[in-house]
Amino acid sequence: MRVVLCFDTATERVAVGVGVLDGGGLEVLASRDVDAPRAALSVLLPTVREALAQAGLTVGDCRMIAVGRGPGSFTGVRIGVATAKGIARGLGVSLRGVGTLDAVARRAAGHVGLVGVVGDAMRGEVYPALLRCGPEGVARLSPDRVADPREVATEWASLQESVLLTGNGLAKHGGVFGEVMGSNAVFASEDLWAPTGVALLEALASEGSCEGVGPGEILPVYTRLSDAEERERASGGACAPPSGVAGPGGRP
Amino acid sequence: MSPITSSSPRDTLRFGRRLGALLRADDVVTLSGDLGAGKTCLVKGVAEGLGILDPVTSPTFNILLVHRGRLTLNHFDLYRLDRAEQLEDIDFFGSLESGGASFVEWGERFPEALPADHMAVTITITGDDQRTLELVGGGPRSESLAEAWRAACAAGGDGR
Repeated sequence: MRVVLCFDTATERVAVGVGVLDGGGLEVLASRDVDAPRAALSVLLPTVREALAQAGLTVGDCRMIAVGRGPGSFTGVRIGVATAKGIARGLGVSLRGVGTLDAVARRAAGHVGLVGVVGDAMRGEVYPALLRCGPEGVARLSPDRVADPREVATEWASLQESVLLTGNGLAKHGGVFGEVMGSNAVFASEDLWAPTGVALLEALASEGSCEGVGPGEILPVYTRLSDAEERERASGGACAPPSGVAGPGGRP
Repeated sequence: MSPITSSSPRDTLRFGRRLGALLRADDVVTLSGDLGAGKTCLVKGVAEGLGILDPVTSPTFNILLVHRGRLTLNHFDLYRLDRAEQLEDIDFFGSLESGGASFVEWGERFPEALPADHMAVTITITGDDQRTLELVGGGPRSESLAEAWRAACAAGGDGR
């Protein structure tokens, strides 16, 4: 039995899922989702324990760990990825990364058509992700990046197609999307704006492969690079930045 | 706009209480002034105005002190940060948008990190116990906050 423990703390929701992955198949054993604004550090491990107990398992039964890599709250992503690396290394098991925005999009997977995820990037910006959902699955159409909300809304309006909007960035910027996209903006209900344990497992299963990598190889997605890292990148430096931070287009 | 004049630490404390009563979620206030100007004194008053019972001290060594009240009060002192990247380490941007009220000392070190719509308070020592508090709003919310605070300070009364 290949038990996978996955969690995400990139939003104000701590989402934890426990499941069994086999080829493309997924069996969900437990899911615990707790609203914990600015409290991920204290809430994550107890929630992981509860989810495992709900599945009748302990952490020692896990054969793989998966973690939401963001983008999202800088501190939240850092807490999630660091905890996942610690558990994976302690157990000697492999680690997988899941896109936080992909997991949010999964929650609207019953929808057929375009889904636009708008993550809150703070400081007046958003993390946009465009996906197409259909009977054959979910296809991601845009890379992770940080952007001005009006620019994203204008871009999505130019598609001339209805887009189901979701994500925690809508709390602050939903108005701009409604204004710019008009009737092509369809808002998902607010309880769908954050990832869940089940959505993380589904996003993981949809990638097909059951294999993880070494804990050192999973990098968080911050999208905003520090000045030092920008310089390093511009000078054609190391492929993995010294801080272990992946920027736009960075490898997983 | 005319500055607020304080004639004693008690005045400064009282003005702080009145500001505390006016604050709303995600308000950001920067505090500038020499050592002993009364920045911490003002924040003590703000904490009282927010119904906070914790003792308020300067966050010089803690960098950030958080107090829970009617609104959460985030009290920053950025003096000991060397680089703007360290703002991420202390979750500066997340804290500013977490529904509390934030007071930032030495915010002028990282002007680009501050939201445009914040109220800048500059306290100047003009005598032994005399201080002037200059207020500058950077946007609609902080301008109306500065206006309301100035009016509340001018109104006199029992200090509450």
